[in-house]
Amino acid sequence: MSRNRRGPQGKGGGARRAENNKIYGDALPITFPLSTDYNEDKSLSLLARGFRIGGTILNPNCEVVFDKTTHSAWTFSSRDAMILWRKGFFGKGDLSRSEPSWLSRQINALKAAKKGELTSEEIREKRRAERKQFKIDRAKAIADAAAEAEAAFIEGREANTTFIPSGATWKPQQQNVQNAENVLIVPEEDEESGEAVLEEDEIPQDVEHLQLTLQETFFLSWAVNCLTVHDPTKESPMTLQEIWTSFQAVHCITPSHDHRFDNPFIINYAIYHYYRSLGWIVKGGLKFCVDYLLYKRGPVFQHAEFAIMVIPVYEDPADQENSPFQLENSDPMSWTWLSTINRVNSQVQKTLVLTYITIPAQSRISPTVLSSPACLSHYTIREVVLRRFIPARMRD
Amino acid sequence: MDDSLEQPSYQPHPPKVSFEDNDNENEELSSGDEDEGPDWTKLPTVSRPVIPKRGDKDFEPNADGGSNFQKHVLDRSRNAMLEALRTERNTSSKSISYGIWYPSLARTHVTTARGIHFTNMGHSVARSTSLPSENDTAKVPKRLELLPEEALYLVERGSMFCWKESEGHLGLPGMEGEPMSVQQTFAEMIGTEDLTLEKYQVYAYLKRLGYVVMRTKPPTSAYPAAAPFDKKVPPKQSILAKLFSRIHSVLLGLGRMIFQPKFNWWRPLKHSPLFRFNMNYSSVFRSLRFLPGGHGAPLHVKPLQDSSSSPYEIFYNIYKPSTNLKKSSPPAPDFSVVVINARTTPVPNLVELTNLFDVLPDLPPPVPRQRLAFAEQKKLAQATASSTPAMTSTVTPPSEISTSGPPPKNLSIFNKLFSWILPSSSAQSSPVTRQGRPSQQQRRPNPFAVLKSGKKLVVIAAVDASNISFFAFRQGLFEEFPMV
Repeated sequence: MSRNRRGPQGKGGGARRAENNKIYGDALPITFPLSTDYNEDKSLSLLARGFRIGGTILNPNCEVVFDKTTHSAWTFSSRDAMILWRKGFFGKGDLSRSEPSWLSRQINALKAAKKGELTSEEIREKRRAERKQFKIDRAKAIADAAAEAEAAFIEGREANTTFIPSGATWKPQQQNVQNAENVLIVPEEDEESGEAVLEEDEIPQDVEHLQLTLQETFFLSWAVNCLTVHDPTKESPMTLQEIWTSFQAVHCITPSHDHRFDNPFIINYAIYHYYRSLGWIVKGGLKFCVDYLLYKRGPVFQHAEFAIMVIPVYEDPADQENSPFQLENSDPMSWTWLSTINRVNSQVQKTLVLTYITIPAQSRISPTVLSSPACLSHYTIREVVLRRFIPARMRD
Repeated sequence: MDDSLEQPSYQPHPPKVSFEDNDNENEELSSGDEDEGPDWTKLPTVSRPVIPKRGDKDFEPNADGGSNFQKHVLDRSRNAMLEALRTERNTSSKSISYGIWYPSLARTHVTTARGIHFTNMGHSVARSTSLPSENDTAKVPKRLELLPEEALYLVERGSMFCWKESEGHLGLPGMEGEPMSVQQTFAEMIGTEDLTLEKYQVYAYLKRLGYVVMRTKPPTSAYPAAAPFDKKVPPKQSILAKLFSRIHSVLLGLGRMIFQPKFNWWRPLKHSPLFRFNMNYSSVFRSLRFLPGGHGAPLHVKPLQDSSSSPYEIFYNIYKPSTNLKKSSPPAPDFSVVVINARTTPVPNLVELTNLFDVLPDLPPPVPRQRLAFAEQKKLAQATASSTPAMTSTVTPPSEISTSGPPPKNLSIFNKLFSWILPSSSAQSSPVTRQGRPSQQQRRPNPFAVLKSGKKLVVIAAVDASNISFFAFRQGLFEEFPMV
């Protein structure tokens, strides 16, 4: 996370923020060059070459291929990957934690190797090794102190105070330092240029692609209209109708499961679309036990503020009984489970939001509306913000 | 640890010798140290029990199964705790109150009221002590009565002595009935007047923290509970305004029909050539907001059981310790608390939460943080304090305040509430807000703070075998605060 927040150039302070604003400032892949507050800059005009200019909307027309087995869609050009990530933070690099940065990390590693420096990944590994050593040392010191206390207790004397290292007082031992220095010693200081230069043939080929969730794919192709989805088995790109049905079919084992209001794709899409339309950057929240995370402007700028736990609510309990889908959190929830999720999220300074989505009753709304996204207007979404309430701190 | 203490094999009376040297050691350890544990040490006892200071935990037992030193420390702490618990609790006869418990009424009649507890506990009831045939002649005398949880709380903390009503001993005032032990009081009172053990535990916990705790639903008409919240506080529209908004919406719909083609579900992003030149991100996002969100949308969920049997009902109204509460006419509470047994009751479902929110008022918006010099803050506090009493009579027209008629203390909250809903009316009617905090009107609250504090709040106390977890469930309003 912190690596991403630093931005690609690794600059500090206000310069970095300005740089990030420039790179990641657009909320969607489509841009409006004639808007009043828009200043065309060099980098964009370069990008804009590939764009088809239509009216006042610059549509990048990105392309992805639908991969049914992984429930995702993949880009096949780094240009598309960059646009989709930078303008609205869509998708995830398949070899990275979020931003597709595999190639730049490889280049950094090669450059660092040339200069004899550590890459940030190696620095992290070193820090982890040191932390592990610290814990071992501390445990040993505590055990020694306990042994001393025991000896003193038996002999009936005052125990000698022993030193137990803390995170602030502990220093890596000699051998570790030497190891690190061996790596850190630069064989020959390159005085003339601080930056190592790579030859053309040394730069590896970019093998990373951006992968979009089905929700992101449908949002971009249907709502924003800037994405073409290809079916690997067919020649022509998929129509919206095809996308709509095949994304639902991903969850259906038999055709009898078609046309259900509780299709996981539709439910997740409704939530995704709802928060996207309110201007939030919506990313997956698996790491924090939840369905989605909401960022105000994006992971590059701030940490996620809210953690969304989707709770599907069947309007008609009969629909749940005969459902082929086991929707997460749709059954009555235990307090243990709720406390678990709330603890995890308050630990990382996120506010837990229970997002209830009602699933229209088949008896009330005819399932024929499911043939198009028009069915989305029959779902309702409401939030309940959850926090622990501590009476001892609310006394004023 | 508790389990091992309950083992019958545990030696209840450790050798006297070890105690004496423990006491000496612990005297030094705990001197001048404010212990954060229970209040045992504060009981006025002859030989004051000493709780050892909390030290570092030995969380890694030795490989050989605990050293002698560890065992010594553990025994010392256990003995101190048991000794503290064993100490006889005494109360001065001059400060104790007396009451008689009437199981048939589920009330305790306070015959001698002493101490400050009764400023916010108990209620007076007109109750005839004589036979029913005579009571229509004379004026019925009023007497102070306690609900089961109130009486139990006072008995448990040693502030009241309780008798049980007994038919044999009528006559001597204050001495009727049979004396009850604390244990008997628990056994008799839990289960009466809707009081469960969980509800009592929540009551006692909040009382110990200094909150004023009252029932939300008055058990009888004699109980002075706060009036239920006026459900229709916000929409105070005049007929003209209603008419205007109606016409406005019709015109808007008409305009939409003329200027925009019918909403095409396969092309949600509007590419109307008329509006194309004004397009920006906020207009795009706005046009994508067609999913019904927010708690105002109709809820078609079929309830599984009838809502009256739901355990999710607000049980307590609580007031912050600073509230200067008038017992006979309590104001709107600071928090509404639901108490449930976490072992047997699942997390409330959407219908239950909606029902809870339906009876609750809208919260005032969070006050934006202000950076003021200390001198300014002081001046502001003085100005507010001096002008507050005058406000009740002059400022807000009585019709605008809900029927409960809040006392001056809560008026500021109501003002905030009104300024939230009707910005114009509150600006006219609350000079204090205008003079005292001039910047408040212009300053928009931080959207994150608004989203986190929500529109309505209900506190749910989930009691799991006497461990109480309080949760604040707040009605979200994300649809009202888009980020773009």
